[in-house]
Amino acid sequence: MRIHLACCTMILISFSMSCHTWEITDNFVKTEHSNNWAVLVDTSRFWFNYRHVANVLSIYRSVKRLGIPDSQIILMIADDMACNPRNPRPATVFNNIKQHINVYGDDVEVDYRGYEVTVENFVRLLTGRLAQGTPRSKKLLTDEGSNILIYLTGHGGNGFLKFQDSEEITSQELGDALEQMWQKRRYHEILFVVDTCQASSMYEKFYSPNILAVASSLVGEDSLSHHVDPAIGVYIIDRYTYYALNFLEKVEPSSTKTLGEFLKVCPRDYCLSTVGVRRDLFRRDPDKVPVIDFFGSLRPVELTTNIMNILPLKSNCTKIQEFEKKYNYVAQFPEIVSQYT
Amino acid sequence: MTISRILVLFTGLINIGTCNNAYNDFFDEELMLKPLSSDHVYAYFQFTTIWETENRVETLQHSHLFPRGLGEIIGRHNVEELHVTLTEGLWNYQKWGYPFHDAGPGAEVTAWFNKDVTNIEEEWKGLTNALAGLLCASLNFVDTSNSMSPEFTFRLTSVTDRPVNSSHLRYSSLPREIVCTENLTPFKKLLPCDSKRGLATLLNSAHIHNTNYHSIGIHFRSICRNAACTRTSLELRQTVSLIYDTMIDANQDWSIRKFFGMGLKGACPLATLSNIYVDISDNNTNHIYELTPSPSAKVVSLRGGQQNEIAVYDIRAHSSRGIFNIAAVHSAPKNNAIYYPSILYANRYIIGYGQERGSLVTKLYNNHWQALDIILLENIPWYLLVYLNSITITCNEQRVHPLAQRYLPGRERKSPYYLELILRLPPHSITKITIDMDYLFLKWQEYPPDANHGFYMGPAIVTALLPIARNYTALPLDGSTITSSFNASRDAYLVQLRTESLLISLPTPDFSMPYNVICLACTAVALAFGPLHNISTKRLVLKRIEKDWKGKLFSFFVGKLFGAKKKQD
Amino acid sequence: MSRKWLSNFALAGTIRLLIMNSEYQRIIGNRVEVSTALNSWKRVTEGVYLHKFGIDPYEGDLFHETPIGLYVFTLMQEYLPQWALFLLFVIVDLTTALCLAIAAKHYAIELATKRKEEKDENKRLSKDVPNTSALYVSAAYLFNPYIILNCIGLTTTVFTNLLYSIALVSMTRRSVLWSCASIALLTLQGLYPMSLMVPATIYVATTAKNRKIGIITMLIVFTSILAILFAVSYCIMGSWSFLWSTIGFILTVPDLRPNIGLYWYFFTEMFEHFRWLFIASFQINVSLLYIVPLALRLRRDPMLLAFSYLAIAAIFKSYPCIGDVGFYISLLPLWKHLFQHMQQGFIVGCFLLFCTVFAPTVWHQWIYSRSANANFYFGVTLAFAIAQIFLLTDILFASVKYEFAVQHGIDKKINGNEAKLLLE
Repeated sequence: MRIHLACCTMILISFSMSCHTWEITDNFVKTEHSNNWAVLVDTSRFWFNYRHVANVLSIYRSVKRLGIPDSQIILMIADDMACNPRNPRPATVFNNIKQHINVYGDDVEVDYRGYEVTVENFVRLLTGRLAQGTPRSKKLLTDEGSNILIYLTGHGGNGFLKFQDSEEITSQELGDALEQMWQKRRYHEILFVVDTCQASSMYEKFYSPNILAVASSLVGEDSLSHHVDPAIGVYIIDRYTYYALNFLEKVEPSSTKTLGEFLKVCPRDYCLSTVGVRRDLFRRDPDKVPVIDFFGSLRPVELTTNIMNILPLKSNCTKIQEFEKKYNYVAQFPEIVSQYT
Repeated sequence: MTISRILVLFTGLINIGTCNNAYNDFFDEELMLKPLSSDHVYAYFQFTTIWETENRVETLQHSHLFPRGLGEIIGRHNVEELHVTLTEGLWNYQKWGYPFHDAGPGAEVTAWFNKDVTNIEEEWKGLTNALAGLLCASLNFVDTSNSMSPEFTFRLTSVTDRPVNSSHLRYSSLPREIVCTENLTPFKKLLPCDSKRGLATLLNSAHIHNTNYHSIGIHFRSICRNAACTRTSLELRQTVSLIYDTMIDANQDWSIRKFFGMGLKGACPLATLSNIYVDISDNNTNHIYELTPSPSAKVVSLRGGQQNEIAVYDIRAHSSRGIFNIAAVHSAPKNNAIYYPSILYANRYIIGYGQERGSLVTKLYNNHWQALDIILLENIPWYLLVYLNSITITCNEQRVHPLAQRYLPGRERKSPYYLELILRLPPHSITKITIDMDYLFLKWQEYPPDANHGFYMGPAIVTALLPIARNYTALPLDGSTITSSFNASRDAYLVQLRTESLLISLPTPDFSMPYNVICLACTAVALAFGPLHNISTKRLVLKRIEKDWKGKLFSFFVGKLFGAKKKQD
Repeated sequence: MSRKWLSNFALAGTIRLLIMNSEYQRIIGNRVEVSTALNSWKRVTEGVYLHKFGIDPYEGDLFHETPIGLYVFTLMQEYLPQWALFLLFVIVDLTTALCLAIAAKHYAIELATKRKEEKDENKRLSKDVPNTSALYVSAAYLFNPYIILNCIGLTTTVFTNLLYSIALVSMTRRSVLWSCASIALLTLQGLYPMSLMVPATIYVATTAKNRKIGIITMLIVFTSILAILFAVSYCIMGSWSFLWSTIGFILTVPDLRPNIGLYWYFFTEMFEHFRWLFIASFQINVSLLYIVPLALRLRRDPMLLAFSYLAIAAIFKSYPCIGDVGFYISLLPLWKHLFQHMQQGFIVGCFLLFCTVFAPTVWHQWIYSRSANANFYFGVTLAFAIAQIFLLTDILFASVKYEFAVQHGIDKKINGNEAKLLLE
C-alpha cells in the first residue's frame, strides 16, 4: 500500500513537471541525504525490563510521527511487554504513570521480536549480510544517501551491551560493523543514541566518519530509570529517554529544532548521569543540523527536467486460457479400514 | 478518504493499462455474535474475498480487492492452500462448543503446495520467511525440525482435479509465539478498506487483547466458481475469533461499544455484503434480553438436529443514521442454564517428575451415544525422545487397538516425532493414551535465553466427523460466508480440536561454564597422556639421589653425629 | 576347590536374579551410569518394536545397536518370556566369568613359565597359583558391584563383555578364528575394540613359525570376517543407513545425555566452531594415539596390553558405562604380582568409592530436587575418570618397575648409596 503511494506521488510529480518544464530553484535541495532509516533495538528480555521496551517504543513513536514509514524502521524488541499476561492494560505500553502516551499505539510493526533479537541478527542487519529469503521488512536497505538513526537500549557495561541476558555485543564489534557499513556505502550519516549504563563506552571504539554518537551516561555512571508504576510493579521508563521523548513530542515535521538542542535534552540534574556526546567523527555542526534530518523523513523523490513518457506499457495481453475441467472437493475424513480386523 | 480515492484511481489506471479486465472479485464482511451458555460471548469476524480467477503467478501480481502482498507470496511459492493462525488463549470446547476455525495456541501454518513443486522444503522455508515479514511474527523459526506432513489429519479443502497426497502438505506450529498488536496491524492492512471503514474499525487492539481468547487467521484456498464446478475461484478468508467474558458485569448486558470500544460508523464501501448476525437461540431460555435496535431480519437455521435463531443486521441500512451500536439489555437475571456439553473434547498433560523422563497423557472424551471415529495427531518435538513401544491406549480399563497408525521417529535437530492414530471411541467413554518419553540434553547454545522458563510443545489435533451439529458453527466445505452455514445440513460435520500446548522443563547445563569445562576435561586427558607418554618413551634407571647443599649439610652433620656414636660403640 | 567355584557362581547368580525380580530392576536400568544410548535395553526394545512395525529403527534417534544385534534381540524378545530373559542375562554374565577364569588360568601359567625361563631360579611356583588366579578373577567379576548393576540393568554390555572375555580366552589360546571373530563382532558394535587386534596378533605371532605369515593371516581373517559382518548387516537392513546410527553415532557424539565419561558435558559446553576439532582430537586420543607406543612397550606382555586398551577405551570412549569399567577392573587380580609396586591403590580405591556414592546423589540433586546443577555431576564423573587414569598409569608404572626388579633385583641401591628409580 505504502509503496503504491510513494510510486504514485513520484509519477504525479514527474508527470506535472513534464507538463510545465520547471526550473529547479537553487534552494530546492537543502539536505545532502535522500532518505531516512531508523534501527531501534531493545535488547532486554523479562518483565522487570519493561522500561527498556518503553524506551525503544518512545523513539519508535517519535520517528513514526515525524514521518519515517514503518518500512524504513527496523524495530527489534526482545520480549513482549504489551501483551504480557502481567500487563494489567493489555496491548499498551505507557511512558509514564499518568498514562499520557501509549507509546505502543494501535499501529505498530515489530520486525525482529523475541528470540530473533540476537547479536548475530543485529550485526547482520547492519552490514546487510542476511540469509537468503529474509523478508524485506527485516532488511536495512540503505544506500549512500541514507541518514540512519540507531537507538540501542538494554543493560550494558564498560565496553559491551547485553542481548537477552545471554550474550553481548562489544563496542569493538559495533565499531567494526559500522565501518563495514561505511565501506559498503550503506549510510550517509548516522545518529547513534544509546541508553544503557556506562553507555559512552559503546561509542569509544567507533572510527568511521559521519557518526554523531550520544550516550545517556559516561563510563563509570549508571543510567537511571525515571519512575515506577505500582500497577505494573516495575520501573516504566529510563530518565534519558523520558526527557528525549518529552523533547521530541514538541518537534513537528516542519520545525527548525536542531540536533544541538537534542543533545541538551537531559541535563545532569534531570538524568542523574552525564550525557556523553562524541562529535569528532561528525563533519557538521550539530547546532546547525535540524532534528528532522534524523528523526524525520524525506520521501524518495527523484527530480528530473527531462520529459518522461508514462504512456501505458505495451503488455502482451495474452488472454490466459482457462480450461474447463471437472473439479471436486476431497473427502475430509479417510476411509477407515481397520488393520486389525 | 482522499488517500483511498487516489489509490482507487491509481490502481484503476494500471488495470486499464494492462488488460482491461472487468473486476471479477467480491468482498464480504460479516460478524457473528454468539452468546454462549457459559456467560461468554463469541465474536467472530470474517472478511471474505472471492476472486474469480485461476491460481497463477501472473494473475496474482495484479489484484483489486485481493491483498497484493499476500497474493505475491502465494504466487511466488506456488501455494495451493494456506492457513495461518495466530492465537492466544485456550479454547474451551466443553463450554464454548466448536469454533468456526480451530487454532492452536501461538502460531500455526499449514500449506499445500502445487503438485508441480519439486523442492517443497525450500518453498516451505521461503513461504514461512515471507509470511514472517508480512505478519510480524517469528514464523521464520519454522523449519524441517518442527514441520511435518500428516497423512490423515489435514485434507485439501480446495477443489482439485486430481487425487492428492500429503507429500505436498506442510504443517508446523510455534506454540511459544506471542500475539499482539504488531500482528493485528499487518492483518488489518490486508483488508480492502484497511481499518478505516467497515467492520474492521472494530478491531481495536486494546479491546481485542483483553479477551479470554483471541485468534486471527488467514485462510486461502480455491473453490468452485459455478455449480458444475468446472472452473475455480480463489477464496481468502480473514478471520478474527474473540471470546468476551460478560460475567464481569452484574447485569451481563453487552454491546458492540462495550466489546470493541466504539460503535460502527458504516460499512466498507467495497463490500458486497456487510452483515452482523446475533445468535439469539438462547434468548428466553438461558438469558432474557432484548436487542436494540431490533434486527432487520430473523433467520431460523436448522442444521444437524440443532435449531438456531439468528438476528441479521445489514450495516448499510443501519449506519445511515450515524454511529451504529447493537446492545443486548437483559430484563431478567440469568436462568439456570440448560447446558448441552459438546460431544467430543480432549485434554492433554504430562506426568512424572524430575527432568529426566516423563509420560505424555492424552484423554479423549466421547459424550455421544454412538461410537466415534477420530484421528489423533501427536506432534512431539525432537528434544523429547519418544518410546513408541510404551504406548498404551486404554478405555474403561481395557486396552484398545488403533484402527490405523502412522509413526515417523524424530531425529535430533532435524525432524519431530510424528504419530497419527485412528481410534474408535466407544459411546460415553474416556479414552486415555499414554506414551513414555525421555528429555534430551541439548547443547548450551541451543537453549533459549530464558532456558529455565521451559520449552513449549505444540497441541495434539483431534479430527472427527460428528453425526450431529450440536454446538457446531463451522462453515460447510463448499461455503464461503457465514450465511452459507445457515440451514447447511450435511451427513456429517467435520470438527477439529486442539489440546493444550504444554510447557516442558528440560534439564539445563550451567551456562557460565564453557571455559572451565573445556580446561578441566582437557586436563583429565592430559593426565593420561603425560604418564602414558613417559612409560612408553622412557626407560627406568636407578639414580643416585643428588642432594642440594642443605641436604648435604644435614647428612654431613647426621653422619658426624652417628659416626661419633658408632666409634664410641 | 570345585565347591568354592560352584558356590561362587551360585551365589552370584542368585544375587542377580533376586534383584532383577525386585522393583529395583527398573530404577537400576534407568540409571545413566548403567544405561547409555548405546546399550540401554529400553532402546533395544523400542528398536525391535519399530522393526516389527516395518519402520526403519535407524531413522530415529533411539536405536544404535547393530543390525545383527537387532536380529538377535528380535528373536530374544519374541520367543523369551520375562523370566527366561532375566535368566539369559544371568547365564551370559556367569559364562563371561567362566571365560575370564579360563583366560586368567592360561595367563598365570604363561607368566610362570616365562618367569622360569627368564630367571633360572629354583623358586618354584606352587601348583595352584593358576587356579587361585582364575578363582580371584572370576570372583572379581561375579561380585563386582559394577558388573552386578550392569547385569541387573539388562544392558547389552552384558553381551559385549561376553565377547570381550571370549576374545581374551581365544587370545591366550592363540586361536586365530575365534579371536578374529569376536573382535570383529565387537568392532562392528563399538568400534574401539578394534585395538584388541594388536595383542591378539602379538600372541599369534610369537608362537607362529613365521611371524609375517602369522600377522598377515590374522589381518586377512579379521578383515574378511568384518566384511562378512557388514555384508550380513546390509542384508538384514537392506540399506547402509545403520552405519550412521551406529559408527557415526559413536564418532560424532550427538547424544549429550550424561554418563560416566568425559564427553557429555565437554560437548554440551563446547563452542560450536570448535566442536569438530575437539571431537576429532578426543576420538584420536581414545582410539589411535596410544596404540603404537603401548604396543611397542608392552609387546612382551600382550595381556597387559589388552588390559590397557580396554581401560583406555572404558575411560575415554564416547558413551562409557560402568559395565565397561567393571570388566577391566575384574581383570585386576591378574596383576597380583604388580601390587607391591603400586603406589596409589588406596587413593584410587577411595576415589572410586566416593564417586560411586556421590554420582547418584548429585544426580538426584540436579535433576529431581534442583538444588544442584550440572557442574556437580560433571565433577563426579571427572573425578571418576581421573581415578581410573591413576589406576591405569599406576599399574603400567608398576609393571615397568616389576620388569626392572626382575632384572636387577629389588634392592634400590647404587654402590651402597641410596638411589631411586627414574624414567629417563
